[in-house]
Amino acid sequence: MKLSPANYAAIALTVAGAIALSALNWSGRPVSVATVGSMLVVGVTLGSIYAVSASGLVVVYTTTGVFNFAQGAMGMYWAFVYWELRFNRNWPAPIAIGLVVLVMAPLGGVVLDRLVMRRLRGTPLVLQLMVTVGLMLGFMGLAATQWKGDRGRNAQPFFGRTGGFELLGVNVTWHRFTTICVAVLLAVLLRLLLHRSRIGVAMRAVVDSRSLTSLTGANPEIISGLAWALGSSLAAVAGILIAPESGLVVELLTLVVVDAFAAAAVGRLRSFPLTFLGAMVLGIGQQFIRSFLDFPGGFSNADRALPTILLFVVVLALPQAKLHIRGTAAAASTRIRRITPLSDAALGGLALIVVIVSWSGGLVPFVDEWTGTGVNRGVTMMITAIIMLSLVPLTGWAGQVNFAPLAFAGFGAVMFLKVAGDSGQAWGLVMAALLTAPVGALMALPAVRLQGLYLALASMAFARGFELLFFTQSSVIDSGAGERIASLHFAGWQLDGRGRGYLIFLTIVFAAGVVGLIALKRSRYGRRWMAIHDSEAAAATLGISLVETKVIVFGISAAIAGFGGALFGIQQATLNPSQFTLLLGLPIVLLLVVGGVAYPAAALFGGVNTILFIVIKERLGWSWLSALEILGPGLMAVAMVVNTRGAVTDMGRAFSPLLPWRHDARDQFRLEHATEREDEVGELGLGRPFTRDHVNDLDRQLGIVDLIPASRPTESRGGL
Amino acid sequence: MTPVLELRDLRAGYGGIDVIHGIDLRIVSGEVVALLGPNGAGKTTTLATISGQISPSGGTVSLMGHNVNGARPDRLARAGVCLVPEGRGVFPNLTVRENLIMSTYTGVSIASIEERAYELFPRLGERRGQTAGTLSGGEQQMLAMSRAMTTDPALLLLDELSMGLAPMIVAELYERVGELAQKGLSILIVEQFAQAVLGVADRAVVMVNGEIRTVGAPAEVSRQLAEAYLGG
Ligand SMILES: Nc1ncnc2c1ncn2[C@@H]1O[C@H](COP(=O)(O)OP(=O)(O)OP(=O)(O)O)[C@@H](O)[C@H]1O
Ligand SMILES: [Mg+2]
Repeated sequence: MKLSPANYAAIALTVAGAIALSALNWSGRPVSVATVGSMLVVGVTLGSIYAVSASGLVVVYTTTGVFNFAQGAMGMYWAFVYWELRFNRNWPAPIAIGLVVLVMAPLGGVVLDRLVMRRLRGTPLVLQLMVTVGLMLGFMGLAATQWKGDRGRNAQPFFGRTGGFELLGVNVTWHRFTTICVAVLLAVLLRLLLHRSRIGVAMRAVVDSRSLTSLTGANPEIISGLAWALGSSLAAVAGILIAPESGLVVELLTLVVVDAFAAAAVGRLRSFPLTFLGAMVLGIGQQFIRSFLDFPGGFSNADRALPTILLFVVVLALPQAKLHIRGTAAAASTRIRRITPLSDAALGGLALIVVIVSWSGGLVPFVDEWTGTGVNRGVTMMITAIIMLSLVPLTGWAGQVNFAPLAFAGFGAVMFLKVAGDSGQAWGLVMAALLTAPVGALMALPAVRLQGLYLALASMAFARGFELLFFTQSSVIDSGAGERIASLHFAGWQLDGRGRGYLIFLTIVFAAGVVGLIALKRSRYGRRWMAIHDSEAAAATLGISLVETKVIVFGISAAIAGFGGALFGIQQATLNPSQFTLLLGLPIVLLLVVGGVAYPAAALFGGVNTILFIVIKERLGWSWLSALEILGPGLMAVAMVVNTRGAVTDMGRAFSPLLPWRHDARDQFRLEHATEREDEVGELGLGRPFTRDHVNDLDRQLGIVDLIPASRPTESRGGL
Repeated sequence: MTPVLELRDLRAGYGGIDVIHGIDLRIVSGEVVALLGPNGAGKTTTLATISGQISPSGGTVSLMGHNVNGARPDRLARAGVCLVPEGRGVFPNLTVRENLIMSTYTGVSIASIEERAYELFPRLGERRGQTAGTLSGGEQQMLAMSRAMTTDPALLLLDELSMGLAPMIVAELYERVGELAQKGLSILIVEQFAQAVLGVADRAVVMVNGEIRTVGAPAEVSRQLAEAYLGG
């Protein structure tokens, strides 16, 4: 690996920072052979756990070209299956292991390849990210559905909890020794497999060029299936080894592998030795913090936050050219076809307000009856929609992936609590938005360097960092003190956070937000976002400043999310750190993308779905639906492999031709049904035509002359 | 004698639109045929159809008298059809040796592939540990060709071997192709211009707009083409 001076500077800075932090927080515990020895032994064990998890990620990435966010959740799922066989049904361990690792997990991997991964081939990166994150939630939901609650689950380590041998004054249990051996063995075997064996070479070849692979006589379908089988199997090994250490809990087990992302990033997702090194740095570093440092109160999570910090630093500091980014962030699925006129947006907003006002006033009795506590649900729906709206300009228009909207929202909620928590004055909302904007701008700094996968990873690290280090500060959220947020004072009204007035207020805010965003998008400034979405390089050559554009779009997005977060604070009345975790933020991102991330209407779609899952779960009360609020968004995101455009696009396409003034929609409809050449237009990279001139232009290029009249008579447009 | 390759009224294209409109072609054992034509004529599409990457929308592709319409490309490759595709037919992130390992799916051992490849192209031997993406264009084309040269295919399909290469290297590569032909291999060479293949081809076929226009001796076809382009 070639490192530039800037890389060395970054590494030196990180090391210096780490040393300074250690010196400042030194606990004063004695440094002796015994304490250092124990730190190393435990640290190496931990590191081995990370190494096993990370090598699964690296294998899947090298052999399939997909960064599998679901790797941890898959490992978690297989660990549960193993536990079920081994401890609930008392199967002998070797048989249970053999069945899970060598039969069930590989089969699961093959099925996954057939049903999902195969369809991701050649799709935009954003879709790949969302689908694998969706899978992550899907597996979590599946496990939570199959194994409910925490009914005294106890995953025994191999060879018992006691026993083992003494090393440097520490007892190394046989289980931990096994973990270390497996980690080393995997690092060596996987390297040999991928570089020395023909099937391993073929797996890498498929990622390079599928068609050329088939020309050599190898069957790429079988090879990809095998690669996923291997990846799933490795996930199972990691899950089974980790479960006794982390506890058999859905979230904990999944997050161990999320922590291992950092190790995989050190290996630039390709190199096993470097990944192994990264894993050891993580493990020993965490144990070093636990052994020798004492962080004050709010930072007591520092050891748990270390992987996140390392991930953030590594993603930012490593040579970018080597970070192989496949596909482009510019998603064809989010390409804008038609720029909505302001009047349409305003009309839609008005319609929404009318619907909400009449529904919340009990004018639509059936809906209210069916949904139970209607108004508060409506409030949740609108607040979720507003937070989702923050991602529309950012991800939908400017193409910047962000998995941290809830961190921004949480920040906004905290700011509102601080500036106007007692009084509930409405200007506090504006303040919350303004104060959150700089945090978004901060997030934009990595975004200037990063695209696609690495930006997604950085934003995850950002969200997790906020979760572990910011919201936990007692000066930020003092959960014990019982600080309450007052109801909203607005223009002489006092709006209770769960009342009808508040719901109507939120609806108006959402509608105004949509109109405002559309106006922004239609402005000259908004075009820049689409320009950087299409091609950053091309945008830069046009004289668009990437730094400025990204900082501003991140700032706007954060401000909207912060505003939404403040509204959420008013609804909840009290805040606590568990409201703003990385995991809770993921369904928000997924449901928006499922709706169609480039369309403000998708935010409403996402909000409706969020409460729909809750309502369905409650109304039906079927116990197998118990994890629907994560299973649902997860599965919906996975289903995007079938409909990559997002749900509201299709709804809009079906609906808009019915509106009397939408000639363009009717033309488009006719065009699409009149000609088979539509796909080819897509392949030219021009997206679907969205204006008459574009259509004519394309037709000239494609040589379609007489399918449609070259120019429509103008009077029919003017006539209405 | 059964032709090694026979196309009968072959039609194929993309997304339901044909770009080749019924072509007929026979190549007998040991014959070298040049398929010439301007950009977009459908030459690459023809090769993709023969090698199984595209299913014909009409007509038949037969190999040694067997109809192979719709057969998967990897099966055809193992059966002895070797396509060296347009551009660089190498895996850029694999090393030279790993690229050669991929050729063993045809059933030839890696030892024999390596021995023959490094003998034919000594420069590859010196760079066996280098990733193919960092090889020069000529070296990449040699690597791509070595799959053809070491796996004893029955039918060799070459797509614009000369593209972007210096005349010296093109001459060297075609010299190797000539040697293969002498061993009795059937070869279909796609080029835009006839000059490159004058020395090796027994017959030249000119394709325009997805149809075959002219068939004849390479020298004659070359003369006609030159006139057409210049007169054009
Ligand atoms: N993947 C594809 N999808 C749609 N159309 C395609 C595709 N590949 C080729 N075509 C079209 O098929 C026609 C024939 O293309 P082909 O690549 O076979 O031409 P060619 O004779 O090999 O040209 P060249 O000398 O430029 O390589 C062209 O009009 C091209 O635009
Ligand atoms: Mg071609």
